[in-house]
Amino acid sequence: MRLDRGLWGNLDWFLLALVLAICLLGLVNIYSTGFSLLHDKTSALFVRQSQWLLMGLCGMVIAFFLGYRFIASWAYVIYALSVILLVIVLFYGHTTHGSQRWINIAGFSFQPSEMVKLTMILALARYFNDHPSPRSYTLKELLPPLAICVLPLVLILRQPDLGTALMLLILFVSFIPVVGIRWRDLVTVTAVTAVLVPMGWFFLKDYQKERILTFINPYRDPLGSGYHIIQSMIAVGSGGVLGKGFLKGTQTQLKFLPEQQTDFIFSVFAEEWGFLGGVILLAMFTLLVVWGLRIALHSRDYLGTLVAYGITALIFWGAFINMGMVLGLLPVVGVPLPFFSYGGSAMVMLMTAVGILLNISTRRFILQS
Amino acid sequence: MNGRLNERDPADLRRPFRYVLWAVLLAFSLLAVRLAYMQIVRGEEYRERSESNSVRLRKIKPYRGLILDGDRNVLVDNKSSFDLVYIPPRVMDIGPVIEKVRRLYEERGLKIANENPPSGKTRAFVPVCIERDISLAKVAVIEGHALDLPGLIVEVSPSRDYPEGEVMAHLLGYTGEISKEELEQAEGDHFGPGDIVGKDGVEKYLEPYLGGRSGMEQVEVNAAGRVVRSLGRVEPVSGYNVQLTVKRRIQRAAWEGLNGRPGAVVAMDPRDGSILALVSSPSFDPNLFRGGISAGDWVKLSRNPLAPLENRVVSGQYPPGSTYKLIVAAAALQEGILKDDTRFFCRGALEMGNRQFRCWNRGGHGWVNLHRAIVESCDVFFYQVGRLLGEERLARYARQFGLGDFTGIDLPREKKGLIPTAVWKEKRFKRPWHTGETLLTSIGQGYTLTTPLQLAVAYGALANGGTLWRPRLIRQIETADGRVIKAFPPERRGVVPIGEENLRRLRKALWGVVNEGGGTGGAARRPQGDVAGKTGTSQVVGETPGGRKRGKRYEDHALFVGFAPFRDPEIVVAVVVEHGGHGGGAAAPVAKKVIDAYFEDKAGEGGRR
Repeated sequence: MRLDRGLWGNLDWFLLALVLAICLLGLVNIYSTGFSLLHDKTSALFVRQSQWLLMGLCGMVIAFFLGYRFIASWAYVIYALSVILLVIVLFYGHTTHGSQRWINIAGFSFQPSEMVKLTMILALARYFNDHPSPRSYTLKELLPPLAICVLPLVLILRQPDLGTALMLLILFVSFIPVVGIRWRDLVTVTAVTAVLVPMGWFFLKDYQKERILTFINPYRDPLGSGYHIIQSMIAVGSGGVLGKGFLKGTQTQLKFLPEQQTDFIFSVFAEEWGFLGGVILLAMFTLLVVWGLRIALHSRDYLGTLVAYGITALIFWGAFINMGMVLGLLPVVGVPLPFFSYGGSAMVMLMTAVGILLNISTRRFILQS
Repeated sequence: MNGRLNERDPADLRRPFRYVLWAVLLAFSLLAVRLAYMQIVRGEEYRERSESNSVRLRKIKPYRGLILDGDRNVLVDNKSSFDLVYIPPRVMDIGPVIEKVRRLYEERGLKIANENPPSGKTRAFVPVCIERDISLAKVAVIEGHALDLPGLIVEVSPSRDYPEGEVMAHLLGYTGEISKEELEQAEGDHFGPGDIVGKDGVEKYLEPYLGGRSGMEQVEVNAAGRVVRSLGRVEPVSGYNVQLTVKRRIQRAAWEGLNGRPGAVVAMDPRDGSILALVSSPSFDPNLFRGGISAGDWVKLSRNPLAPLENRVVSGQYPPGSTYKLIVAAAALQEGILKDDTRFFCRGALEMGNRQFRCWNRGGHGWVNLHRAIVESCDVFFYQVGRLLGEERLARYARQFGLGDFTGIDLPREKKGLIPTAVWKEKRFKRPWHTGETLLTSIGQGYTLTTPLQLAVAYGALANGGTLWRPRLIRQIETADGRVIKAFPPERRGVVPIGEENLRRLRKALWGVVNEGGGTGGAARRPQGDVAGKTGTSQVVGETPGGRKRGKRYEDHALFVGFAPFRDPEIVVAVVVEHGGHGGGAAAPVAKKVIDAYFEDKAGEGGRR
């Protein structure tokens, strides 16, 4: 085996460089949002995000050296652990902005719901790999993996965190085109969903209904949830072609946007760096996703394909939903922008995922060379 | 690896991957197109909107609820505070602006009160507070020169007024800007940076009721930051009013009684545990905290060796001294150690091994029975009783009187005190217990520590026939128009295991302390002869282990705990005067003042209505 030399020699430098470039842009951007805040939070946001990025890099290195096959062999255990954490959060977690998402472990406060995105992908990949279907899956055969998705989803809905719950469901559905489903069943599911979704309306919390109604017409509630969308769109639009410049976004610096460092971070970037910056960032995400798909397709085994595909889907949906939301194309559901939004749990989880992706990409060459 | 490579033919995968790739490209193109549409096609329009965008959300602070005393006198009121704020039109040096304000003030003979006005560079459009809580004269100056002073505005915000000042500080607490930690701990999303919350006392304890809810206003501001018009408004909701059980008149009497000496006074209604007065001295003026306390004032308060911020009634732990003898006596009576005819001989001291335990009266009390021993506070009598009782049994009774445990009062930072036992000492010091320590414990010295509030509650039980109440500070919470939304009924914590006959004997002895010849508490006597109580002197230096040997003064603390009227007690008072010397001399007169005030208040009430 030429494993060790190969691991280094064949490191996917392009992927690594691309991810690091996005992370650095994100840090610069966080600096800008922190800059405008009163009470000298200036450095605090930036410093903490940098620390989390460093922790994420550690996670990345560890995941890279453990290897995706080893990690996948523990997939169910990790998955179970993360689900247990979700249960603990429901009982002991602390509450911010009306939902109970955080948990304290060894002085760190983190969100198990971020972690579960990755562990669920691993568990699903493992399941589809261990139970291959000769042709396409029937609906019945898809029930166990669906359960893998629904269990944490229900727990997260209880927090309540609609954005993350939705994300889990979308990730599960994303696997379908690759693992395959019978046409007949696909039609059935689509039909049933079309009927059930309107009924789901009655299970939403008032503030969630409010968000959807406001999405349709932001001016319905310009003081409340519509305020975010309107101000975010003004921020993005006023950036123009070249942007207002670093630390010069008036929308950002004047704090028209509350909590801009988390879900609305892209509006800060688009305001200060304009269309040029926005398109470059979009291109970087596109490249990253396309590259991820390439890694998935060329993985040396099916397991690697599934894991790489799932991680790529995670990055894609995070970017698409978040930007779509900021640009007023999608309702505000609270999905962070990968590598960009302020938040430690997501950063560490994503960088760990990138470590796995790097490993899959690197192993491919080892087999073939 | 076990040969599971490529269960699916990679060729099979190419087709779905191609679809996925197209979907991804389509999705991102959609975003790019949208971005182009917003930033290029409509960019100019949005830019104009952002420049004239002067629409911002402004938080409207609510008025906090009022705090009333038992007779509905206002103890904490609201007033409008005017803050001078500058909104810089660009990044600039704030110095000249301050200078301009200073010159304007000087024309009218006014001065900037803020010790450290802001300095250095400002950020564009980020409001800078130049001076908080300015006088109406200053408001007039600023508003009169509005045109020469672009960017300078006077912001009105509600603030607290504490008319009683130092007298009620520990009880009521104070308010201040919410801290980072409090913000993180806060539940729900109705707290934000800059909000004013209760920081201590009732203000803190009842924050959820007193605080109210912020309102929001969407306003359009001009380039100078002045509000041009309001576009929409959600009104703030004022906090609920709170009525306390405390009586202002009694509280003032207690404060005047201490007369600036460090110490604590607490008065309680033994019939239901209602607190009538609660004073800790030295104190501070809660009005100092309005709009943020200045650094100088804060240092003065927090570094003061006399700890004016500490509430001595609930967190001051003192050896109970002779006031503890009542607990010893109650235990001994109940255990059958003391009979009607039990007498001990006091010759001024008791020998134990090679040590001598002295009575405060060096000349000795001669033959004494329980009644005389309490009246004259004979130490030797209680050394003997304590030795027969043993420290374990004594500790058990002390606990049943609520000592060594939280009373459960609705105030922060209550201390438990300490009821020592052999087991405790073994654990704490890894040393065995000596009988000598039992003797010291039985006269309330040694390791034993109690808070003034614990003593009041314990004596309350003696006075009311045995019921231990949880001290009650808050009567009810009500809306602005007087509708009660929550009442706080009295709460029984337990019953002391002392028979009615024994309690009566103890009360009679306590009456003797104040009203009989030779009693130590004569200074609390009223012409009506209706006060009963016990003096105490807690040693500061000497046998006090780990005590305050480094204190500036070494004089003993003076204690008095008593109640009135003797027949059917309505008020129990505990007084500690730090370094006051003997309890009879320093503390008993304070208790008398408080009791006088109580009966005057009662008579006045009858007369008024």
